[in-house]
Amino acid sequence: MPASAIAEASAMPASTPPASPPSFGTLALRWYRLNRGGLRATAIGIISLLAFLLVWHLLTTYRVVFFVRFTNVPSPLAVYASFTKAIHDPKFLLHVLLSCRRIFFGFSLAAIVAVPLGLIMGRFKLVHEIIFPVAEVLRPIPAIAWVPMAIMLWPTNEQSIVYITFLGSFFPILVNTLHGMSLVDPVLVRAAQCLGARERSIFRDVYFPASLPHIFTGLTVGMGVAWVSLIAAEMISGQYGIGYFTWEAYSLVQYADIALGMIAIGVLGLGSSMLIRGAGQLVMPWRSR
Amino acid sequence: MSEIVVKAPQGHIEVRNFSLSYDSIEGPVQAVTDTQIHVKPGEFVSIVGPSGCGKSTLLNAVAGFLKPTTGIVTVDGERVNGPSAERGMVFQQYSLFPWKTVRENVEFGLKMRGMPRSQRERAARTLLGLAGLEAFEKHYPEKLSGGMKQRVGIVRALATGPKVLLLDEPFGALDAQTRVIMQQILTNMWQRLKISVLFVTHDIDEAIFLSDRVYCMTARPGSIKAEIPIPLERPRQQSMMMSSEFLALRRGLMSLIREESIKAMGGELNDMGMQGLNIELHGHSLADVI
Repeated sequence: MPASAIAEASAMPASTPPASPPSFGTLALRWYRLNRGGLRATAIGIISLLAFLLVWHLLTTYRVVFFVRFTNVPSPLAVYASFTKAIHDPKFLLHVLLSCRRIFFGFSLAAIVAVPLGLIMGRFKLVHEIIFPVAEVLRPIPAIAWVPMAIMLWPTNEQSIVYITFLGSFFPILVNTLHGMSLVDPVLVRAAQCLGARERSIFRDVYFPASLPHIFTGLTVGMGVAWVSLIAAEMISGQYGIGYFTWEAYSLVQYADIALGMIAIGVLGLGSSMLIRGAGQLVMPWRSR
Repeated sequence: MSEIVVKAPQGHIEVRNFSLSYDSIEGPVQAVTDTQIHVKPGEFVSIVGPSGCGKSTLLNAVAGFLKPTTGIVTVDGERVNGPSAERGMVFQQYSLFPWKTVRENVEFGLKMRGMPRSQRERAARTLLGLAGLEAFEKHYPEKLSGGMKQRVGIVRALATGPKVLLLDEPFGALDAQTRVIMQQILTNMWQRLKISVLFVTHDIDEAIFLSDRVYCMTARPGSIKAEIPIPLERPRQQSMMMSSEFLALRRGLMSLIREESIKAMGGELNDMGMQGLNIELHGHSLADVI
């Protein structure tokens, strides 16, 4: 068959497995060659983190005063001591847990509302024309500025904090979803139409997957802003939560706990954005290499 | 294969009194005017013309993406009102869905038709096998070369068993070697499937090598300048491109298109206020220079 013969000739060369399994040594060497860049980055990363800790340690043990005052700043060892105490303290764990729960509800609600809204606004001009001006006016208002209003709006403190978190992540998700929709290649839509796709399947099989990368950018940014908003709201109106814990430590002159709260926020923020990245890779296998 | 071939000869494209214009700030702009073309069932017809002559516009109207301003487009006597799976299309830009594997891309049209999963999987595998792509069924398009992407695009367009296949400069982005191979593959598939093909290109060799008949369009506003039957025997071989018959056809088409290209360019040069350079753009003097 000439077609397939020609096809074969132009096909990409497939990687052929070697006849005999290579020795462990060769495999290890190959693995090292392939991952050299990653290993290097990891090694440098660890060294730079250690250097950071060392500088912090030196600045605090010698109580350096050079424009900034390190007089009262806790040393890494002091923070570690309060960390070992805190992980056995159910109250600290409750703070962490409550913050996570607020993030979960606030962020999930934002995603559940903003993603479909963005998709619909991107597809139907009229909806876009109606909603976009309102969104544009509300968008620049920082979530923290909503705190007094949120307290008035919602019957409980818990609800108003979740609401603030929701607001923080809502707009980044909406804006990025809209952006993704606006970038959908019209040729793909036409290709789908030529294959007999109707409005519903064009939406499901073209617009939605084409926007997914941007939706996930929105989710990542939204998660970051969610934490910013949450911590601010907790510091102002909370009774629990890691933001409240950090602020309370300051009021109670527990300096080591301030740093502990900050680090906890950093780790939680990092963890949640890694979760989103992982979810993105699961949902978009075509983008991972 | 059985799903695809059985149909009686059909796929008669008829474009009558066709014109298409669009609005601009300076008033309506005529893209295509007073055009009649037809493609008989099972015929391979190409449209060539200078760039911007409206050949893609015409093809998009046959596909149903554009509505004619006047005139009518029919396939087997039925008026074209919008895109449908009856008219398969291959685009110049690679239009595979990046989020679907090669096989899922090919299956898409069958899925839209409501074919059950196992059945369409089998159909897609068969088709991919015919195009020599079975080894790549689980790959995502991003990993394929340009030629393979376009092969998948053709297979995908044929999977639903359309009455006609429309191709809009499908090999324009490919290198010369791949292009020749793709032309061979396309003729093989066309001969096997006996499907009507309307093929838009600016490559004269490609048009002659592939077609039963070639329409040559004028510069904008586009209309049909000439209709040239290609009496070369089939199956066509690469070696034919050196035959005196082929070269004669090529020379004829070349001079037709060149006239139009110069007209189009001359128009542009005039628009740019180049008369001051004392180039005589009217008549044939520029043609003689070039």
